[in-house]
Amino acid sequence: MTIFKTFLKILNKYKLTVILYSSILIAFAVFNMKTNDTSVSFVASKPDVLIVNNDKLEGITKLLIDYFSKNSNIIEIEAEEEAIDDALFYRDVNYVIYIPKNYNDDFLNHKNPEINIKSTKDYQASLAELMLEKTLNIANTYNSLRFTQEELVNVINETLNAESNIEITSTLDSGSLNEATYYFNFSSYALMAGAIQVICLILLSFRQINIKKRTIISSIDYKKYNRVLILSNALFSIVLWLVYIIISFILVNKAMMTLHGVLYIVNSLLFTLVTVTLAFLIGNLVNDKNAINGIVNCVALGSAFLCGAFVPQEILPTSVLGIAHVLPTYWFIKNNELVKGLEVINLNTLKPYLINLGVLIIFMIIFVVITNMLSKKKQTIA
Amino acid sequence: MHNFKYTLKTIFKNKALIFWTFAFPLILATFFNMAFSDIEESEKLKIIDIAIINDNSFNNNLTLKEGFKALSNKDSEEQLFNITYVDCEEEAKSLLEKDSISGYIKIDNEPIVVVKSNGINETIIKHVTDLLLAQEKISIIFSSVEGMYGLKEENTNTNIKDVSRSNLSYTIIEYYSLIAMTCLYGGIIGMYSINRTLPNMNSVGKRIGVSPEKKGSIILGSAIASFIVELIGLLLLFLYTIFVLKIDYGSNVFFIIILSCVGSFTGLSLGIFVASIFKTNENNKLGIIIAVTMFGCFLSGMMGITMKYVIDKNIPIINKLNPAAIITDGFYALYYYDTLDRYIFNVVSLIIISIIFLLISTVALRRNKYDNI
Repeated sequence: MTIFKTFLKILNKYKLTVILYSSILIAFAVFNMKTNDTSVSFVASKPDVLIVNNDKLEGITKLLIDYFSKNSNIIEIEAEEEAIDDALFYRDVNYVIYIPKNYNDDFLNHKNPEINIKSTKDYQASLAELMLEKTLNIANTYNSLRFTQEELVNVINETLNAESNIEITSTLDSGSLNEATYYFNFSSYALMAGAIQVICLILLSFRQINIKKRTIISSIDYKKYNRVLILSNALFSIVLWLVYIIISFILVNKAMMTLHGVLYIVNSLLFTLVTVTLAFLIGNLVNDKNAINGIVNCVALGSAFLCGAFVPQEILPTSVLGIAHVLPTYWFIKNNELVKGLEVINLNTLKPYLINLGVLIIFMIIFVVITNMLSKKKQTIA
Repeated sequence: MHNFKYTLKTIFKNKALIFWTFAFPLILATFFNMAFSDIEESEKLKIIDIAIINDNSFNNNLTLKEGFKALSNKDSEEQLFNITYVDCEEEAKSLLEKDSISGYIKIDNEPIVVVKSNGINETIIKHVTDLLLAQEKISIIFSSVEGMYGLKEENTNTNIKDVSRSNLSYTIIEYYSLIAMTCLYGGIIGMYSINRTLPNMNSVGKRIGVSPEKKGSIILGSAIASFIVELIGLLLLFLYTIFVLKIDYGSNVFFIIILSCVGSFTGLSLGIFVASIFKTNENNKLGIIIAVTMFGCFLSGMMGITMKYVIDKNIPIINKLNPAAIITDGFYALYYYDTLDRYIFNVVSLIIISIIFLLISTVALRRNKYDNI
């Protein structure tokens, strides 16, 4: 109890740091989720297209614009070339179509006029290009027949309207699950950085040389001492974790209210506990207050980058993922991705999920054992 | 001169300082390189795996059959699909379940595209099927009107010309904002070395304060020493990213060097500014510089490149004042645009900001008197 009380006292001293750190991390998480949800996941099936029209709005020109309004997100920005280039670079627009002057007339007079485009050359842009080519192909083919402008537009529209039927087999609400997965993946960074930073600072206070001497000389067993400290730190981390869970319910409540939500929560609880043991290990290794900042950044940022908290795992190169296997974050994020794709939840489909949880537990045990070993050794030296 | 030498020495002795200004950018660059190296490649259109149920109704529909055959031709550059022909729908379903295909096509009077969820691959499959359907329709219309109008030879190739700019790799922004961060972190060095000379900060400062040496020359000595250390840090970052990580910064090496130097000068003046304006201990000053720099880098796109664009587009004034964003934007302008207007504007802004910082610092540093410390 004495240890726990001291722990709370020190935590109280650092409460401003804790609050500041957590709120910054939360703000980051929220903000990133809001800006990134369109660019990270490929769910959006309408490319962002900008049409710069220098022609009169009639005939083929109008047809093109109408078609793209229906099948893509038309982006409106000022027609300055620099603004357009910026938008392309930052992927605000995937595809720019410049319709030249007199396009409609030239087209009808079989001059096969040229259309300039700018493209980001990614998935979305390829889709837009496919749509443009399709429309122009059809238009060109019909143009060889001697239709009037009106007839031509009608017949092209009629052909474009010939659509195949589409069936979706999945019943998953992939949009909200995507968001939830992104949130939890990002939270791995926030949890890890927050927990390690605070826990290390607290442990450091416990290990000031005079306090340490007094602790060693006392009758308390070093294992019990470590246990109580770990438990208090775990308690702190669980509070931190609860905060993130509550936020997840506010932000992505649609996904959280399902069975998937429970799986996310269990996974992140275990991850939090792993983080505690890791923080405890680091806290026992490091003796310098200044060094903590550096280590927190390296460990937390490193885990986040290598394991796919910022960039989805499917995009990371295999060599990087190979290295990531030795980091607990990798298994946590792997599990989130797994939950995202779960169609049916039963014992059989949950098997890989449970295995990943098992790996997290193994990490936990390893960290605790090493910490105890170090702690024991240090005691004899001190 | 004496002060210059010892400032250099103390800077290199301070491990935390060296970590933040030298090692941390290198570590971040390594992480960026590992995480982002494949991201753009993965956004390019890949060949899509689909399945087609190979029954009589498919074999009888020549347009679809030939169309898909042409699109899955492995020798063609236009190959879009990798098609598995299956005998019954169950087989296709199990492939879809295992995610080995994005969707399959069955023909039940009309073609039906079956997919698992929404997505870009799925949309492409649908568009292509639509296109083939349209061609079917075209041939019907043609056969009905051909007699009436008479066919005219026509070039049906679409005439589309790509005029995109060539340098489109947006992950480069991450490295630019990293350089910006390194430049501004140089402020820590500047702050540290100025702090050393301040009587209210430490005893070395007190001794310097009572010495007959001119204050101006002391500050100048410290500043130049910090600037040199900063440049060494930048040089290390450049050497590492160019030769180890193989980042392509584009061809304008000369302009890049100028911008980096001006950038670290801004960082230096930021450091001097913080050191002289805020009357608080060294750790707090360090915190201020790190916070300002990190927040500036966040706004200029280090944590997600969309951020810079969102700010540029909606509240441009913020990034016109944010040194990190100005540095990043300067590099961006060099990389992406052919003209130098925007680059020069950025460099000039940086110089103006630095001068403002320095002027305020001079006012704050002049004529300090201490009755007691």
